[in-house]
Amino acid sequence: MVLFYFISALLLIIGILAWRRPGITHALLMAFGAVQVGFTVYAALHVGMTDLHYFTYDSLGILFLGVLTLISLAVIFHGLIYFHHEGLDRYYFYHAALIGLIVSISLAYLANDVTVVWILVEATTLTASVLIYHEKTAHALEATWKYLFLCSAGIAFAYMGILFLSLTTKGYNLDGLSFANVSQVAANANPLYLKIAFLFVFIGYSTKMELFPMHTVAIDANSVAPAPIGALLSTGLANLGFVSIFRVYQSLEGSAIREWMNHIFVLAGVLSVLVAAGYMLKARHHKRMLAYSSLEVMGMVAIAIGIGGKGHYAAILLLVVHALVKSTLFFQFGQLYRILRVLKITESGNYMKINPSGGVVLLLGVIAILAIPPSGLFIGEYLIFTELVNTHQWWILAITMMLLCFVLYAMATRFMHILFSDPSEPTLKTTEPGTVKPWETLLQYTFLLLSFVLCFYQPEWLGELIVGIIK
Amino acid sequence: MLNFLIILFAITLFYFSIAERFRTYAKLIAFQGVILFGISFLELKEVNLVNFIFIATETLLFKAIIVPILLYRIINQNRVYRVHPKAVPGFYILIISMIALIVSILLSNFLNSEFVDSIYLSVALFTLFTGVILIITHRLIFSHMVGFLLMENAVFLFSMAVGNEMPMLINLGILLDIFASVLIIGVLMNRIGSRFSDLEVNNLTRLKH
Repeated sequence: MVLFYFISALLLIIGILAWRRPGITHALLMAFGAVQVGFTVYAALHVGMTDLHYFTYDSLGILFLGVLTLISLAVIFHGLIYFHHEGLDRYYFYHAALIGLIVSISLAYLANDVTVVWILVEATTLTASVLIYHEKTAHALEATWKYLFLCSAGIAFAYMGILFLSLTTKGYNLDGLSFANVSQVAANANPLYLKIAFLFVFIGYSTKMELFPMHTVAIDANSVAPAPIGALLSTGLANLGFVSIFRVYQSLEGSAIREWMNHIFVLAGVLSVLVAAGYMLKARHHKRMLAYSSLEVMGMVAIAIGIGGKGHYAAILLLVVHALVKSTLFFQFGQLYRILRVLKITESGNYMKINPSGGVVLLLGVIAILAIPPSGLFIGEYLIFTELVNTHQWWILAITMMLLCFVLYAMATRFMHILFSDPSEPTLKTTEPGTVKPWETLLQYTFLLLSFVLCFYQPEWLGELIVGIIK
Repeated sequence: MLNFLIILFAITLFYFSIAERFRTYAKLIAFQGVILFGISFLELKEVNLVNFIFIATETLLFKAIIVPILLYRIINQNRVYRVHPKAVPGFYILIISMIALIVSILLSNFLNSEFVDSIYLSVALFTLFTGVILIITHRLIFSHMVGFLLMENAVFLFSMAVGNEMPMLINLGILLDIFASVLIIGVLMNRIGSRFSDLEVNNLTRLKH
């Protein structure tokens, strides 16, 4: 099935680039949507099966593949609307790269080998760069250069980590660097080499997870890329960063460095929340604010993994709900730009009055992203804090809570300004409320509803998937 | 012979520290490509023919010919010939490089393993540090690009040190080279050059807050 999925996607990409007709591209995109859904359903029905030797349909892969598919459909939908208003410049490149990115992420979720994950992560850098550069502005060029440069450096770091991992498996006569093989030898491996390997992999993939120390690259990329792409980068791709690190973490859990890895996660997590809180207080740009929010959530995820126990469950739940909410906010800010034609927070205002359907999305969205009940994120953060209390990690608890207060204040005031205040720096640009139809926000309401439902009810299959991931 | 080539490679890194002309950088990158071919030729005795052709293409054709040609094209098209006048002087970079070499030797001794040759590891680490030093101490994007190419060479050298039984990993490193070099050098550098009047890093610091 992996081969069928890959070849289908490749043919669709070739079709888009070869025909270059809007109608045909629409049809091919719909075909890709069907293939993506079909692949996800197939994966869900074949739990535990290995395909093409390098891909396994395990709980971790299936859960994030499901989330990605859901978001990808919305990204395609909002992308078509984006082009309807912004013209067809680079239309075909955009969609070819988009399919390439979604396929790379999907396969990387399922890859069971350290090296295959690495190749696919590299492929995401290539395809994402095309999408970040889409608008061809000076800012887009800057963000793309930084993204490519830092991600390539990150990939080189991750490669060094893989080489160190390969050193630890030498002498065991193993058939490759699968996570299972690494896990098999981890207990007897040289801890120093494992530490170096993990550190390199962690730093390398933090470019994708939008986590300290390589978070800056993603901040620029998210704020410059078209809104649907920002939604995909800060959810599907960030989740891939997590999956890549988490798989290495899980395969080294049986080794002597487990506690040390936990400390690295907590340290990176606290520093991420600290940086996010600091910059959030200075944020002036809509999408940049969302990017800092992603940094904060990823920081919480890292803390959750580091503290262990219920934290692991909380981390997965946070990632799932965050994907729904953050993509919604990106889509809505894309619509906001179409109406107000401004990117700065101080130049925006009265959005609730100008576009009530979008205004309500922003209002519900800020409640959801700040983990205020009934947001599903609340459950995740509640579990983290109870685990911190249970394990008496008071310093981490106090610092994190204090930093989250800053984030809450910064985001809430900015959203309220956009929704209810007059612009503090008004521009001469005229608003165009008619450019967004209320039905265009339907998917955003659906995602928000899902994120709220997850606060009160988590279906049995979801619980089983998460438990399957963390056990 | 192998040790001679590795030490020769380390000497080219010192030359990077004091060089001020970008054409010298391009020549050094080409020379390093030839040395890496020599190292892989001597090191990978047990590798099969297909993998050997792959690695030879990577080092000799790609690192020694194509990448330097691309660098020359960027130099000529953008008319950037020398390092930025405000870059840290070569003398100081040389001293920093000496310190980096000592740190690399100490680190490789610390990481002593029966599976890795410590001379390889020392030079690989030294190459990595030199790449980072170039990126930190220089102000033109071109120098940053060369710094990145050095980091790639470091990774290649390290993969040779640990990967003589794992051609798959070496091939992966090659993928990284092709991807990064062609895309970054070939496409983006020229776009930056055509959009801005020079290749100064300050042109790329507009994205804030």
